[in-house]
Amino acid sequence: MTAAALLLTACAPAIPSAPVQPPTAAATGEGTSPPAAPSPPPATPDAPQGPARREGSIPQRPATLPAVAAAVPVPASLTVAGTSIDMTVVPVGVSPDKAMEIPEAFDQAGWYRFGPAPGAAAGTAVIAGHVDTTSERAPFSQLKTLGAGASVQVGRLGAPALNYRVVSVELMAKDSFDGDSLFRRSGPHELKVVTCGGRWLQERMDYSDNVIVTAVLE
Amino acid sequence: MRRSIFTAGAGAAAIAAALALAGPAQAAEGDAQLAVLHGVPGLTVDVWVNGDRTLDDFAPGTLAGPLSLPAGAYELAITASDAADASAPVIGPVTVTLAASGNYTAVANLDAAGKPTANFFTNDVSQIAAGKGKLTVRHAAAAPAVDVLAGDAAVVSNLANPAEQTLSLDPATISAAVAATGTTAPVIGPADLTVAEGTHTIVYAWGSLADNNLQLAVQTIEGLHSSPGSVPGARDGSSGTSPAGPAVVTVGFGAAALALLLGGLGVARTVAARRAGR
Repeated sequence: MTAAALLLTACAPAIPSAPVQPPTAAATGEGTSPPAAPSPPPATPDAPQGPARREGSIPQRPATLPAVAAAVPVPASLTVAGTSIDMTVVPVGVSPDKAMEIPEAFDQAGWYRFGPAPGAAAGTAVIAGHVDTTSERAPFSQLKTLGAGASVQVGRLGAPALNYRVVSVELMAKDSFDGDSLFRRSGPHELKVVTCGGRWLQERMDYSDNVIVTAVLE
Repeated sequence: MRRSIFTAGAGAAAIAAALALAGPAQAAEGDAQLAVLHGVPGLTVDVWVNGDRTLDDFAPGTLAGPLSLPAGAYELAITASDAADASAPVIGPVTVTLAASGNYTAVANLDAAGKPTANFFTNDVSQIAAGKGKLTVRHAAAAPAVDVLAGDAAVVSNLANPAEQTLSLDPATISAAVAATGTTAPVIGPADLTVAEGTHTIVYAWGSLADNNLQLAVQTIEGLHSSPGSVPGARDGSSGTSPAGPAVVTVGFGAAALALLLGGLGVARTVAARRAGR
């Protein structure tokens, strides 16, 4: 038991190092700006075509500066039918202790801006908020009671709102926090709405678990 | 360790699908990745690997690959684009050794004096801290040592051909320029350069100062992101003692919580706090 642990007033960070997954290392990205260099001439028809050749399977692209990507529509609100959850959503990043940042205001939730956004083609959009204030419960305390099929609406800036349907509510122990599964950047798109739950551990000043609501686009 | 409060069938299917898609759909496990950058102005070439023509009519400013290659030694040669074989290279041949799972870029470029040469760089594909991006600058141009400016500040100083420097940065689009060391008058740029979170952005300065054709080439290696270490969603535990709402389901909470609910104390406190907080 360390003294530092007793000073934590939020959900204390679990093991900071998430399981390592092999990076999908690849030179990727298609430059959308026109090539500065002359375009390669078409392949000559008399080029040798030996069986060992890899030509044709090797992607080539102009290595010019890619155009700055257009910003994706960011989420601005989160409402859950049948509850008092009607939150403002703000983009958040990572705190110095490697935790996801959570807005201070009890009626605000944070969207992890480095991961996929709601409506993305792939991966999980993570929105998290406090389960309590310094003395009371916050709206997200109702997350653990949601049932399958509950309707979740995400309002977006400059784009239509998105309707999600809850498919699961789970507890993930903070002692075995699996960040790579929660903050997934590939695979099917899902919305993850996260807060704290499980048992309150007074000695840690933290809950034992995260409550994770998973929802899919309707 | 996951305990399910409930999981609908669709959720389980989605999780299974996600696991199935998690692995890279790439070459054999342990293969090295080799990208090739052409940074010699005015020279269209063919690139040969172990005597096989691998890149045909490879034009300046083009990035090819990555090729997935088993670990081992390879002979790279660069010839004129109409060469019949690799016997008369204009650059090389050079022998490079690829380690299992290594990531490399072979660059055909000019040395500081303007002579065509080849450089072989090892790319750092280690995981990047959550919320950060990585930027590497490589000097592959016929030019003296340079500084790289982000806005008005030099973030890389005194970089000479063929050296490189790597920085960890907050993700941003920066206005990047290259200037002779100790000066701020750009010889390249300024240009908007995006350093994305979880991505290793590698920038090459190539071309020739004397020929007035210096420019930047960019390679990005994505998928190096890390996840946050936790989601701290609690302040003081006041939620744990007061289950939510009239339709509360007490799964996993037990008798103590239920007793408090029956007392109604927690609910009343919360309503008052909400009004006060608005």
